[in-house]
Amino acid sequence: MEELIKKAKAQSDQAEVYCLEQQQNDVEFENGILKDIKSTMHGGITLRVIENKKLGFAYTRNIKDQETLIQNAKRSLTGGVDANYDFPFTKKAASLDSYDPAIDGTTSTIIVDECSRIHDQLKSRTKGQVNIRAGTAVTGIRIINSSGTGLSTRNSHYYISVAIVYPGSATGIHRSLEFKSFKEIESSFLDNLAELYNKSEKEIDKARGRMKILLMPEAMYTLIWRLQSATSGESLYHKQSPLADSLENKIFDEKLSIVNNPLDDVYPGARAFDDEGVACREMVIIDKGCLQSYYHDLYYASKLQAESTGNGYKTSRWGGDTLSTKPAPALRHLMIRPGSTDFWQLIEKIDRGIVICGALGAHSGNIPNGDFSIGLSPGLYVEKGEIIGRIKDAMIAGNIYSVMKRVVDIENKLHPAYTGYYPAILFDEMNVATKN
Amino acid sequence: MFDKLKSMLAKVEAEYADIRHEVRNETRIAFNGKELTEIGSNTTDGYVLRILNKGGYASISFTNPDQHEKAITTASENATLMSRLTRNPVVFKKTPIIKDHYSPKLQEDPREVTIDEKLRLTKKYNDIALGKDKIATTSIIYAELSRDKHFLSTEGSEIREELITVRISGLITSRDGKLIQNVRVAAGGSNGFAVLRNRENEFEKRTGIAVDLLKAQSIQGGCYNAVVNQSLGGVFTHEAFGHFSEADIIENNRTMRERMKIGAKLGSAIVNIIDDPTMPDQLGHYRYDDEGVAACRTSLLRNGVLVGRLHSRRTAAAFGEPVTGHCVAEGYRYAPIIRMGTIFVEPDKNTLEGLLDQLGNGFYLLDAKGGQTSGENFTFGAQYGYIVKSGKIGAMVRDINISGNLYQTLSSIVAIGNDLKLSETGGCGKGQTNIRSCYGTPHMLINNLIIGGS
Repeated sequence: MEELIKKAKAQSDQAEVYCLEQQQNDVEFENGILKDIKSTMHGGITLRVIENKKLGFAYTRNIKDQETLIQNAKRSLTGGVDANYDFPFTKKAASLDSYDPAIDGTTSTIIVDECSRIHDQLKSRTKGQVNIRAGTAVTGIRIINSSGTGLSTRNSHYYISVAIVYPGSATGIHRSLEFKSFKEIESSFLDNLAELYNKSEKEIDKARGRMKILLMPEAMYTLIWRLQSATSGESLYHKQSPLADSLENKIFDEKLSIVNNPLDDVYPGARAFDDEGVACREMVIIDKGCLQSYYHDLYYASKLQAESTGNGYKTSRWGGDTLSTKPAPALRHLMIRPGSTDFWQLIEKIDRGIVICGALGAHSGNIPNGDFSIGLSPGLYVEKGEIIGRIKDAMIAGNIYSVMKRVVDIENKLHPAYTGYYPAILFDEMNVATKN
Repeated sequence: MFDKLKSMLAKVEAEYADIRHEVRNETRIAFNGKELTEIGSNTTDGYVLRILNKGGYASISFTNPDQHEKAITTASENATLMSRLTRNPVVFKKTPIIKDHYSPKLQEDPREVTIDEKLRLTKKYNDIALGKDKIATTSIIYAELSRDKHFLSTEGSEIREELITVRISGLITSRDGKLIQNVRVAAGGSNGFAVLRNRENEFEKRTGIAVDLLKAQSIQGGCYNAVVNQSLGGVFTHEAFGHFSEADIIENNRTMRERMKIGAKLGSAIVNIIDDPTMPDQLGHYRYDDEGVAACRTSLLRNGVLVGRLHSRRTAAAFGEPVTGHCVAEGYRYAPIIRMGTIFVEPDKNTLEGLLDQLGNGFYLLDAKGGQTSGENFTFGAQYGYIVKSGKIGAMVRDINISGNLYQTLSSIVAIGNDLKLSETGGCGKGQTNIRSCYGTPHMLINNLIIGGS
């Protein structure tokens, strides 16, 4: 890498090399049958160069062919992409406990045995089909640039995702856990999953109209995507944020506080620096319902005459290749502050309502405007503080700037979910559309 | 390349193994609003090794050829582990040995068009949108992907296939005060660069829709009858039915396999659904899948009755059904999984006007905005629509997301048009994004759609 940066710098004003190494091992169980074991060993490099305030960008998996990489970056320079910023000099980043060496000893056999154990335990308690995915990942990132930054990090990750599926269906109750290395799942986790499934086995067709909504962590990204869009420097610059000029304004219920903290190394994936070598920091996005921060990468910070907040990440959705993407503003370590109410006490607070355990189509609505319209997959029906079944073929729709103003209560526990760590949140009445 | 792959496969001790090497050349040009934010061409490559031994199956993707022995060891150990533990030994259906080199015919090879010309064309289309009042911004991308795949199996298949996909697509965002609306725009395909030329009208039309959406009314949530256009019908078919014809979705789900038995009545008698990756000039066209199996035109639903399924070699053996050549990978980062190629509803006799007459009162819903399936439930969004009263198209509506259930919705298709149209761009995200996922239908009249609305 040092040789590459030297060569690239000799041909441009500034240069940055980003090196990525990834190893993964994934196991999939369906209905007690070991369906798949798949592994990946990927490496790659991206090169960014700046010349006359213009950016060149290139990437490769072939780490030996440095010359082609440099030439591709130089050719890309001729397009004239703005780069009114400098690659940062980050002398030192926080020291984080993000890698647990025990991950190296987590073999496929250990993971398979754990999946079998969980399957057997749940099968003895429910009639549903049990599906489990689990796996390990180790990611190494190194960034060096011509400003003198030289940073590296290593992250270990063990995940397990368990689903109990309703008969004649592929939908069910599902939940995940994440750690920095292998950990046996506690029986209380399985107890909760089994209880939710058993209480919702019966199909109910009388649920319609306005009622309370308990949004589970697994469906929270429906709201979070829209907030991420509205607070991004990219959206602000392109005038597609409804929250422009809303700093310090109360936009949500005061029970809601939302924080992005890459430095919290209790959870896997902690980062001391982003994918541009900018030091990460804890950032309060929403404090007691008030908007506190927007987030930036180097590019959009320069466009807005702001500073990068250390949120420039190479991201992609739906399994895309992050190596091939340029850094863009992203919130990767979100957490909604938990409340003080136990999950089952939240259920008791519902006279009539729906527990949304999964969302379908969260990506289809008008995200910049905050609108959402999702299928419930599944939606559990609650009457007089008791889950009495699940409803079929139902949707809810709303706008986050209305819905998130009406929080009734928040669970006292965080759960790993897509885009962050969230508690279940009980919202006031929303309209549920059904076939009937 | 075949010699290099042969030397790697020779080190595998198993009943069966195959290896695929893929070189991907990607060209991307991106505009966000008036600003160019990305331009360049890059080449990457990698390998996928699959091992089947004594009923155990495992795969590994790796990018450094110097690590191929480690990759072989890892996949072999995992296959042995599965062999020892599985209750359902994996078997691959026998298929013909194939030696071939295939490149689809192109109408203008994108690799021979300069990047300057690609930039000019992308900018021209982007400027069309930005030139209109109320347009806040755009996100318009030129994306070209050429894949050069070499597939080698221990059975003796040696296949090279080159596939090229191009598109200019993105989002046009309009704004009025705090109200923000957007509409998708896309032109593209797998048969050459020519499909991207002379598409000014498409970008003009989509820009007009983005502006009109600012004045459209939100649809009220409820259960409605609607005529859907070809794009929306295509996503509906893909989400509501297509994923359930992928055998790996239901392989280990005993109750769903029971409900999805060949011969099961799933739709009204007028509905015929086919998946055909062999159709030339379509986005989803290929000749061989990533298991080295020749793609087949596969009839899935005939007169509303399930008559076929999409298979890998593994599921074809497990179900005792024919292979179809639908086991496809997004690229070298993934082992192949079962995917739709070009899925469509066969046309009938109705005109759009006739369908609207039959509808009477309801909605005319247009253009897909993404969909998602979970089990038998699915949703898909429409970018816009119109109120229909007495068969006449009225005011525009927005915020349309539709939900349904596999076992009911196909029975709710009550009339089919005569105007089949297939998609130019795709993006199915079943584990790995398949940008060649192609779908389409004629206009269709569907009863009792659940719409989330506002």
